[in-house]
Amino acid sequence: MTATGHDLSSRGLWQRLFEPPSINRMAPGTFITVYALLLVWTLVVLFPVYWVLITSFKLPLDVASGPYFLPWVDFTPDLHAWKALFVDDWEDTLKAYSNSIIIALASTALSVLVGSMAAYGLARVQYKPKLGSILIFVAATIAAIIAVVRYGVEWWLAGLVALAVFYFLVLALSRHFKTTLANGDILFWIISQRILAPIVVVVPIYIMFQRVGQLDTHQAIILTYAVINLPIVVWLMYDFFTSIPVDLEESAQLDGATRIMTFTEIVLPLSRAGLAATTLLVSILSWNEYLLALFLSTSKAQTMPILVAGMAAGERGVLWWTMCVTIIVMIVPVVFMAIVLQRFISKGVLLGAVKG
Amino acid sequence: MSTNVIDRPSTATPAALTPKRLTISNLNKSFGAVHVVKNLSIDVEPGEFLVLLGPSGCGKTTALRMIAGLEEVDDGSIVLGDTDMTHVLPKYRDIAMVFQSYALYPHKTVAENIGFPLKVRGIEPGAREEAVRDAAAQVHMETLLDRFPRQLSGGQRQRVALARAIVRRPAAFLMDEPLSNLDAKLRGFMRAELKHMQHELGVTTVYVTHDQIEAMTLAHRVAIIDHGVLQQLGTPKDVYNNPANLFVAGFMGSPPMNFVEGTMNNGRFRAHQVDLAVEGGVTASDVTLGFRPEDAVVVDPGQGRFDARVYTAEMTGEQTLVTLKIGEDTLAVKMPKDFEVDYDATVGIGFAIDHGFLFDTTTGKRLDARIADAA
Repeated sequence: MTATGHDLSSRGLWQRLFEPPSINRMAPGTFITVYALLLVWTLVVLFPVYWVLITSFKLPLDVASGPYFLPWVDFTPDLHAWKALFVDDWEDTLKAYSNSIIIALASTALSVLVGSMAAYGLARVQYKPKLGSILIFVAATIAAIIAVVRYGVEWWLAGLVALAVFYFLVLALSRHFKTTLANGDILFWIISQRILAPIVVVVPIYIMFQRVGQLDTHQAIILTYAVINLPIVVWLMYDFFTSIPVDLEESAQLDGATRIMTFTEIVLPLSRAGLAATTLLVSILSWNEYLLALFLSTSKAQTMPILVAGMAAGERGVLWWTMCVTIIVMIVPVVFMAIVLQRFISKGVLLGAVKG
Repeated sequence: MSTNVIDRPSTATPAALTPKRLTISNLNKSFGAVHVVKNLSIDVEPGEFLVLLGPSGCGKTTALRMIAGLEEVDDGSIVLGDTDMTHVLPKYRDIAMVFQSYALYPHKTVAENIGFPLKVRGIEPGAREEAVRDAAAQVHMETLLDRFPRQLSGGQRQRVALARAIVRRPAAFLMDEPLSNLDAKLRGFMRAELKHMQHELGVTTVYVTHDQIEAMTLAHRVAIIDHGVLQQLGTPKDVYNNPANLFVAGFMGSPPMNFVEGTMNNGRFRAHQVDLAVEGGVTASDVTLGFRPEDAVVVDPGQGRFDARVYTAEMTGEQTLVTLKIGEDTLAVKMPKDFEVDYDATVGIGFAIDHGFLFDTTTGKRLDARIADAA
């Protein structure tokens, strides 16, 4: 800014365009740039949704010969794809849909329940596991696995022996271990589980469920999803729980509340926003998951993403129109859930808790 | 806060409850290698207002949290009434605490906040409501029962925290710097309110603060703590007029006591141009002379006990605070408001013999000796 910059009339063109005339007003150049970028981004985000919507009303001929953009102008909307999905194949659609809903809800509930309990523990209790004890545990586990795989020992026997060895070794040696880990290490360990790409573990998971005869079942997919989403829940909820002042819980204890009461009366209501946001995120992840579902389900437990993908590989070519109908049907519950949950995801829940 | 609540008399009748004695014996607490509370023993009389005073990090809050049961006791005991509470869960201690942050439940209304201790005790809603209204009236909050904490001012939040503490008539109150988040004017007002309320309820109270004026005005007795060690326990007047050591003398008073470091030589105290005869046997060689700013006067050079150079003179309204230099030591003397003096002038400083204290510089202990009247 030049020395004469405070005199608005003497500013150069560049200053006039991009320097705000006062602190709470936007310069015209900035205004145009910002809103142009926002407009472009809005189109990028919304156009695919629009395209899916109109494609679901197109005839195969219109899809093939397009592109057509405007219903009633470029092409005549037709309900044939909607009819195919909801009348002709409604049993398959309904099954996949209910599978998806059951799996998403159950796995979300499970991971949010377990994950937030873990996060609360990490946020409120200082753990000091000894590195030596952890190494002994790992060594005992490896020994048990080798015993089972190489020497054909019964798995329950190997597990029991490994546990006993671990217990007595820790009992004997733990006072010599000096290095301890802290909550940060535990948290990082949990989060690091998510760093692993799912493709790495998908075959072992497949074999595991095959061995116990649980392939193509709800419980197999629910359990898998709950486990892979657990790190996200712990990570997000840990942040929410640490943001609740510990004073509130101490005060509740002095007021005479039990641990459970403190949790239900104080912690839970205050972490509602965090729980809502986490639930939304995790359920969307479960709802859209494809890779693991592809391996773990064949027909009975098939979810919506598998159904959609199947439409791209049918003997009748790619059925863009029915695929689009399915996608719309998939989007609806997510939008509905976001609307329901977003009123909990409001800021300022903790306002007035502490300080003046 | 709204001003209409200030002058209203308290409407609630004080509950008839028997105050309990709180005995703390040889309390110890370490965090890792840091020994924060060392052998703390205090006997709080039933109904007494005891203030734990000390600089931040001196262990006073840790001591309070141990009394509350929020911190495990390493060693020692806490007895309330006839019951040993040392390892009892906080909720069974019958103690209410006001936190520095107030710790109001943000999702509950004022009424729900105040009623929470009763709710968790399973008191039926009818009786609860009555008790809440009584407690709210006592802190002049009865018109704001439906508000949420976020809709209240700092002073009002403070009142809600107080009401929540008194609603169930606990055996003891604990307060952790409850006034430190208020502005100066409100703090003075709430201090008076607090003292009045404690007097009316007659509940044994332990109050933690680093503000020596708060301690002086509120306490029946003050316990001054430094580095986890109890330095002196006594009435405000006692600790002010008879400080046990250098720390207490330097912590109490605003500005604090003046110190001149010197040495003992043939029964005389010497430092810079100071040379005073001392009565009573002094074995220590390094000795510090102390006197309070309000006990000293600025006089003509040679007329006082020793001479010093004027550094500044500040008119504060009610008085003139004269700052003087003797060697590297800075001294303060409170003079009447119309007193005037030139900068850099050499003046004499006078004080009565019973207003001069001698301390062992090495141990900090107050010496059983004093300045002799004869020069």
